[in-house]
Amino acid sequence: MLTAASQARRQAEGQARGQTGIQARAGLRFRGAGRRFGTLAGLVGLCLLLWILTPHFLTVANALNVMEQTSINAIVAVGMTYVIVSGGIDLSVGSLLALSGVVLAEALKSGWPAPFAVAASFGVGAAAGLANGLGIALGRLPPFIMTLGMMSVARGAALLVTDGRPVSGFSSGFRSLATGHVLGVPSPIVFTLAIYAAAALVLSRTRFGRYVYGIGGNEEATRLSGVEVRFHKTIVYGVSGLTSAIAALLLTARLNSAQPIAGINYELDAIAATVIGGTSLTGGEGSLGGTIVGALIMGVLRNGLNLLGVSSFLQQLVIGAVIIAAVLVDLMLKEKRG
Amino acid sequence: MSILVAQVFRPDVRHGAALKGCATALAIVASLSFVACNRGGTTTSGRPRVAFVLKTLNSPFFNDMQRGAEDAAKKLGVDLVVQAADREIDVERQMQIIENLLQTGINALCLTPSGSREVVPAVVKANRANIPVVIVDTRLDPAASSEAGAKIASFTGSDNYEGGRIAGRFITSASGGRAKVAVLEGIPGHETGDSRLRGFRDAVKDTPDVQIVASQTANWERDQGFNVFQNMLQAHPACNDMMALGAIEAIRAAGKSGKIRVVGFDAVDDARKAIEDGTMAASVAQFPDEMGRVAVENAVHALRGEAVPPDVRVRIELVTKK
Repeated sequence: MLTAASQARRQAEGQARGQTGIQARAGLRFRGAGRRFGTLAGLVGLCLLLWILTPHFLTVANALNVMEQTSINAIVAVGMTYVIVSGGIDLSVGSLLALSGVVLAEALKSGWPAPFAVAASFGVGAAAGLANGLGIALGRLPPFIMTLGMMSVARGAALLVTDGRPVSGFSSGFRSLATGHVLGVPSPIVFTLAIYAAAALVLSRTRFGRYVYGIGGNEEATRLSGVEVRFHKTIVYGVSGLTSAIAALLLTARLNSAQPIAGINYELDAIAATVIGGTSLTGGEGSLGGTIVGALIMGVLRNGLNLLGVSSFLQQLVIGAVIIAAVLVDLMLKEKRG
Repeated sequence: MSILVAQVFRPDVRHGAALKGCATALAIVASLSFVACNRGGTTTSGRPRVAFVLKTLNSPFFNDMQRGAEDAAKKLGVDLVVQAADREIDVERQMQIIENLLQTGINALCLTPSGSREVVPAVVKANRANIPVVIVDTRLDPAASSEAGAKIASFTGSDNYEGGRIAGRFITSASGGRAKVAVLEGIPGHETGDSRLRGFRDAVKDTPDVQIVASQTANWERDQGFNVFQNMLQAHPACNDMMALGAIEAIRAAGKSGKIRVVGFDAVDDARKAIEDGTMAASVAQFPDEMGRVAVENAVHALRGEAVPPDVRVRIELVTKK
């Protein structure tokens, strides 16, 4: 019995790695490219339009400005993409960002060397994310509920740690993490690109990445084929906690302050970037290339509407409309292909 | 096994995806064209452009400030761009708005900081762009700005410490020197609220029977004022009117109207009505429209190279039932 089971598992793994797997992966990459191209067309169209509407949009300074502003949402959206591809949702990212931010700030303020403070902050973010994962994988809580709870727990913890006050005033060396330049490019952009390169590699080229797609596409079948679903699911939420902590590092350095009320509604921005980027909320498909373009669409929209001097209320309306339109079209296309 | 793979990895849909991209682009184009038609020609007039970045646009206080600023801009013949983040506490978004407006080559910036320390880097960027910055309502943190080398042309705002003292003196005299006081604070670490609270505490500290029994934040917001106050329902100043109005609803819901005195800060229209109705005892009036007007005037003077007063205190007064 045991032998038969393990033999079946070996066979399953072999096949997953084998020809069918390769074909499927190729299809996936291809589809990812197709989606990216589609969303990219949206971004290019938007940029062209803004270029026509205002002379201030298409300048090197503004391009760098937009990318710098997009970086924080884009980094949070990395973890969100992992989570959504795995068929889950993470509502706690904004609160985890606030919590890791204040942990970082308090550690720096009490004289910890920066690398240790950063490690502590990343540790807290990842641990809280893993706690999400455990609640979901082992406790069988719906991701919405578990991360909704964590959203409040982490926010409360951030407020408790700081007594509700911002913690501010760091060394210029630390601040240069967000304000510095690498070969003329603002460092947040460099960070973001590096994180996307690494995260995309993991998601598309490693076994873990394939399992994430598998879990999101059909969890039961993935489990039956011998994948330790609970373990990988837990890790996915840990990744999301970690990317929130990385975003917190940049935000804290940028504002020279960590606020316990930072990151409110960031989960919504990250979900929007992910979904505009073509990742399906039902899981199993999506790509980080799409997500970064989705984040840029949101960033360019906000930037462009500011440049045009559009009413702040109308800006909210437009951004909301774009999100709905993007997902609506996605759904209609799914229906069409049955 | 092939069934599994087929289920897990769904078939290719790249045509659909491209279509989707085009449709998204179309949606964006459609909404932006609408926006473009709506905005009117503000960039082509050749007149100086002054940006006014508020904390929020969904509070009557800042709406009044915007009105005052627009009146002044009209009189002075300058174009005014008013922008604010969706949420009052969203400092990062406020910083983005400032960065974006700087890209458009504005000539002066009026700013109500969402965070006294957090906007300092944005002010430094405005300094680098060589435009005068007028801070309104909430002061920059002196330590943070001197450390970063941020320079401002002028500050315009109420004396919030004095406002807190006025509220404290009112509660002391109205209650005959005996009161249990609950305070709804603003966002912690926020200069305006902290100053009011300090003024209030200083005003009541010599009256031993006026005790502050509870002090909690409701983040400036009306619904939070309701919720927090419902929880601590006891007598009671709030650091702004929105929270105070929320508290009044909580008092009404508990059937304790008239037994608890509520003192707010700002004297917004709803608060004045509540004072006339007798549900609110008093509110410390600020004059945001005057702040907006003075700020724009000073910004314009500064960009013309004229001397401006470094610190303008706008009047403040206690509003009670007539």
